Amino acid sequence: MSRRSTLFWTDRPLAFKGLVVVALPLAVLLGSLVSLYLASSAETRAEDDVRRAFAIQRDVYQVHALLAEAAAGVRGYALTREDRFLEPYYTAERDLPATMERLDGAIEDRDVRPRFLELLQVTQAKRDGLSATIALAQSADGESVDQIEQSLVANKLALDAVRQEIENIQQLEGVVLDRRRALVDDVRTRFLTLTAVSAIIGLLGSFAAVYLFSTGIVRRVGKLEGDAELLARGERLDDPPEEADELGRLAQRLSRASALLRRREDDLKASEERFRLVIERVRDYGIFTLDNKGIVTSWNLGAERIKGWRTDEIVGEHFSRFYPADTRDTLPTSMLERARVEGAAEDEGWRIRKDGSRFWANVVITALRDEAGELQGFAKVTRDMTERRRSEEELRLAREEAVAANLAKSEFLSRTSHELRTPLNAILGFGQLLEIDEEDFANPHRDAVRQITKAGRHLLSLINDLLDISSIEAGAEEVEMETVNIAELLEEVRSLADPIVRAASLRFDIYLPDKHTLVEADQRRTTQVILNLVGNAAKYNVDGEFVRLGAEASGDHVTVFVEDDGPGVAAADRSRLFTAFDRLGQQKLSRSEGTGLGLALSKSLVESMGGTLDYAPRDPGGEGSGARFCFTLSAKPVSASAQHGAQ
Amino acid sequence: MPAQLIDPKQILARRILVIDDEEANVMLLRSILQREGYTDIHCLTQSKDALSTYIDLEPDLVLLDLMMPEVDGFQLLEAFSRHDAADEFRPVLVLTADTTIQARRKALALGAKDFVAKPFDVIEVGLRISNLLETRLLYDRLRASTPSAI
Repeated sequence: MSRRSTLFWTDRPLAFKGLVVVALPLAVLLGSLVSLYLASSAETRAEDDVRRAFAIQRDVYQVHALLAEAAAGVRGYALTREDRFLEPYYTAERDLPATMERLDGAIEDRDVRPRFLELLQVTQAKRDGLSATIALAQSADGESVDQIEQSLVANKLALDAVRQEIENIQQLEGVVLDRRRALVDDVRTRFLTLTAVSAIIGLLGSFAAVYLFSTGIVRRVGKLEGDAELLARGERLDDPPEEADELGRLAQRLSRASALLRRREDDLKASEERFRLVIERVRDYGIFTLDNKGIVTSWNLGAERIKGWRTDEIVGEHFSRFYPADTRDTLPTSMLERARVEGAAEDEGWRIRKDGSRFWANVVITALRDEAGELQGFAKVTRDMTERRRSEEELRLAREEAVAANLAKSEFLSRTSHELRTPLNAILGFGQLLEIDEEDFANPHRDAVRQITKAGRHLLSLINDLLDISSIEAGAEEVEMETVNIAELLEEVRSLADPIVRAASLRFDIYLPDKHTLVEADQRRTTQVILNLVGNAAKYNVDGEFVRLGAEASGDHVTVFVEDDGPGVAAADRSRLFTAFDRLGQQKLSRSEGTGLGLALSKSLVESMGGTLDYAPRDPGGEGSGARFCFTLSAKPVSASAQHGAQ
Repeated sequence: MPAQLIDPKQILARRILVIDDEEANVMLLRSILQREGYTDIHCLTQSKDALSTYIDLEPDLVLLDLMMPEVDGFQLLEAFSRHDAADEFRPVLVLTADTTIQARRKALALGAKDFVAKPFDVIEVGLRISNLLETRLLYDRLRASTPSAI
């Protein structure tokens, strides 16, 4: 078959192929049957013809026999006048018409038919002759003997004519018979030939069907099976066939599946290789695997670096040799058991290197299980923590030192405070006693006493602020955060600070936020900060008219502010505003006295509560238009009960 | 002044023991007390002698410093309460330069009846002293009238 017809055949769908393969032999068989039927019916017809020819010959002989016997009988009768000689004649008269009729029906041949008509005439003449003879004999007398003799002679001539005709017919019928016999032989030969040809065609058709079945289906199914087998083994398939039928498509899909599998396999291999390389090259972590019993099965560069063994030295050894003698018998087993039960086990402790030195290791053992959950071994990751442990140790020591130093500082401050307070107690106490009795003194002494107590009180507030700052910085005093109603707190502070502001001849304005505004704050510290800020405002607002205290909520925080319309803080001084003991030259002002610690302390207090304390000019546009200090507190969401409680 | 349950003269006659290692402070307290009009004042700068003096004098009020060499105020507070009978009310006013809350709590827990930080206000100290003595006198009076109740 040419390539194109092969392609045409293979591209047909399987149903079409099946139809062809089944229908081809069937059609050949059917053709054979039809030809057989036709041949056999032709033979039957030919044989019928032969049989008819034989029947004609028989009837012709019968006609001859009947006439001959009748003639003989008539001769006898003519001689004897005995009636019994007429019997054959009667028989002939009885049977001849039927025989002649049969012949009339049977003779069809164009050549024979005129002879038959001749025969009819001569037969009739003969019968007439005979009947005339009989009539002569019956009426016989002497003279009629001659007539009878003449009649007999005539009869004899008639019979000869009949005989002649019969011979003619028989001769002709013999020719017909021979022809028909030849025809039968011919038909039989043709039939045999046809049968042989049909058999050959049927055989060839079957061969063709088998061939088509083989090329179209069996061979390719076999190939597919082979492909599937290859696929199952994970081998690569050849290029996909081009056939467009179901098998072709199946083969193409198998081929695509093979390509896909191969690609995935390649990807997987590449990924595994990358992964293996990554693990192998990791230097900071010792990564290795153990079998179920704890025998080392793989070893990476990090493990070699940390522990000192090379791969070929350690694979096959039990991992307990990494443990120091005191834990070697128990810890490895219990670690594996824990990893087996819990999936992973972590530990930190001393391990042994190849050279016998110890290192502090962080170890994680992970159980490796297959998809069925069967234990496949363990993965162990080891990190050398010696360095970190050392730095942690150093850090801990440093922390302890710092704590000790801090304690020492607190102790020092506490002692200093005590040591300063004790003499100050005497100074201030006696000063106060003297003040009480000041009318006993002359004016200069009175002033001196006042200066002593004033200086003493200043020294005392210095000591108090210093102690406060250091204790806040050291975190010595706990911040007690609670929910505070800021409006109530401001009201309270106002009543406390009112005398201070009034003493400075200033108006004290207050801007309260919503009465339900709550903040998270240490109430005592917040009060201290506000008092300090209000005190500062009153102290430094020499030329202005008011001090303003207020709070405003915004988002998750509340800003408390203290403003005044005094000189404010010069831009150059702002960076030093919160520095301890830096009074920005304000000590020259006669009305202001202070420790220089108030803002530093306030800042510490606010920060200890998680807020910020800032300064800004009240009106950023112009200098000298007042100061604004503000600090933030975290707002607490208002709950219904809190609202109710506040009312 | 609120109505006095006790005659001020009775208060001023009470015996007061001052224990402070700082001479100046002892002098200050003595001045305050004398100025107020107290007459039975005993002062001590050596804390190691304090317990025996306390036992000998049986003072109505002790003004006690906390931070002292050798025997400190806390030890003395413990010793005093060990010595005193269970039904005795002999107030101790602690006067100290140790202003920490820890010191305050410890002193009060050990039996001090009041606590004043140094430097103190002269007038305030005077008022606290007279209040404590008044309480002591009222207690004594109550004990005398209904001995079985106490």
